[in-house]
Amino acid sequence: MIAFKLVIALSVVLLVVRGTPTLAQTAEERPAHRVEGAVGGLWLGGAGLGSSTAALRANSPGTPAPFTLFTTESRFGSAPGLDARVGYGLTKRIAIEAGLVFSRPKVRTRVSNDVENAPALTVAESVNQYFVDGTVVVLLDRFALGDRTVPFVSGGAGYLRQLHEGLTLVETGSVYHAGGGVKHWLVLRDRGFMRGVGVRVDGRLYVLVKGIELRDRPRPHGAISGLLFVTF
Amino acid sequence: MTHTVRQHAVVTLVLLLALPEPARAYLKFSVQTLRAGTVTLQWDASRPVRYFVTNRGVPGVSASDFQAAVARAFDTWEAVPTASIRFQFAGFTNAEPFEDDDLSVLGFQNKPELERVLGATGFVVDVLTGEIVEADIFFNSAFDWSTASAGQPGRFDVQSTALHEIGHFLGLGHSALGETEMRGGGRRVLASGAVMFPISFGPGNTADRELQPDDIAGVSDLYPEAGFRNATGAARGQVTRGGRPLFGAHVVAFNPATRALIGGFSANTNGEFQIAGLTPGPHVIRVEPLDDADVDSFFSGEDAVDVDFQVTYFERLFIAPRGGVGGRFVVEVRPK
Repeated sequence: MIAFKLVIALSVVLLVVRGTPTLAQTAEERPAHRVEGAVGGLWLGGAGLGSSTAALRANSPGTPAPFTLFTTESRFGSAPGLDARVGYGLTKRIAIEAGLVFSRPKVRTRVSNDVENAPALTVAESVNQYFVDGTVVVLLDRFALGDRTVPFVSGGAGYLRQLHEGLTLVETGSVYHAGGGVKHWLVLRDRGFMRGVGVRVDGRLYVLVKGIELRDRPRPHGAISGLLFVTF
Repeated sequence: MTHTVRQHAVVTLVLLLALPEPARAYLKFSVQTLRAGTVTLQWDASRPVRYFVTNRGVPGVSASDFQAAVARAFDTWEAVPTASIRFQFAGFTNAEPFEDDDLSVLGFQNKPELERVLGATGFVVDVLTGEIVEADIFFNSAFDWSTASAGQPGRFDVQSTALHEIGHFLGLGHSALGETEMRGGGRRVLASGAVMFPISFGPGNTADRELQPDDIAGVSDLYPEAGFRNATGAARGQVTRGGRPLFGAHVVAFNPATRALIGGFSANTNGEFQIAGLTPGPHVIRVEPLDDADVDSFFSGEDAVDVDFQVTYFERLFIAPRGGVGGRFVVEVRPK
């Protein structure tokens, strides 16, 4: 709800800014040492968590193969989410950001191969998932598409927090990401409190370490987000 | 102890059968006391539990070999890091198991009439408090035994049988984590997921020298080490059939991350169960009828155990909390 309010607020800001005289600037003339806020939606891809076998010890001397009671295959589902970021331009091309990503993916476990022929089924839970990260963004002016559209690359690391269904158990870990995207300025001004407004599309590859896992193994999740940003 | 009323508690606990036969998952015994109502049967864990061993061997197993194998089995239970029980070997004795003599004695006895019983455990219980004051274990010398480190074909392993019986000695019932098949008028174990499964592996097999997650959860629940309850969670729920409570279902929690299987039972007339000692995280819950061992291995003959249903899974993942009990849930089983 808070995020939606932010979107509405930014939309109002955008209308106000567009309604006032502005001075178009080249990428080289973008303001540095400014604070930028961005908020938008995100689609976080799923990832496999792996399979497990519920096994008993078979009745044979030596080390017999385990006796399978049933098997499971688990997966983090893809899910929409919210992406909010606050950045600061160190130079005209390099910025640092703090980001918060929230999503509610489902963990689905397919149960099959029951020894007593119970039908296969999929059981699930919903997870409240948060990424809090620090990110470096580098604008690639060399590849700019006109004065207002500039691609960028980004990378960062942060904290992973996952709250299981029922809100009774928290799992934590680390999140790393790398990616890139494009920023497009709708408005640029060289004076005033608000220096620019634009939209931004990010593609990121997140790698989650720890948190909800079946194996002690990092899990990659693709993500794409679209954000509205305002530079102050 | 002089002021307490003492009597033999129902003893039974038939155990490890060479071939067929039965026995309970991680169940805790309870006893009706005069002072405290129904309480869990257990030792006073504030001091080491002393035990004696009979000074008599059998062919292939000397008294000292027997004592050493039994000591290894006691050590295995004592080594469970999440449990706090301790034992002390008090010496060899001429006393026999099952004498009401204030001595906990383990030893061989020849009982050929118990043709499928490898061993059994009996208790003397303080009926005011429910505390165990004496427990005895007999090993049936009608069978051939071995203490060889790798086992011995054709002979049952003393240490494995001792580990199971000491589980009873501690107050644990049988585990239903196992699969069996009918053969020759009895049951043969296909596979087992707990040392406390009622039916033994075959002769020469030493697999039951190692405790399984179900056994560890059971002893830890009975004698919890500091921190155990805060570090693990419990599942609580109800099993129903046609909306009515179902008594005697075997409920198993499987953690896909640790691969641990821990069982429990819907053990009251409301069909309710509770399984403690679960590693925090998601679990698959499987409910099955008690059809892999005789029902009276788990419940008394008067209990109307319902086995007329199919294996059923709970339709959600159950999340075991870190400390405490997860949200109560209901599993409606599928009729046959």
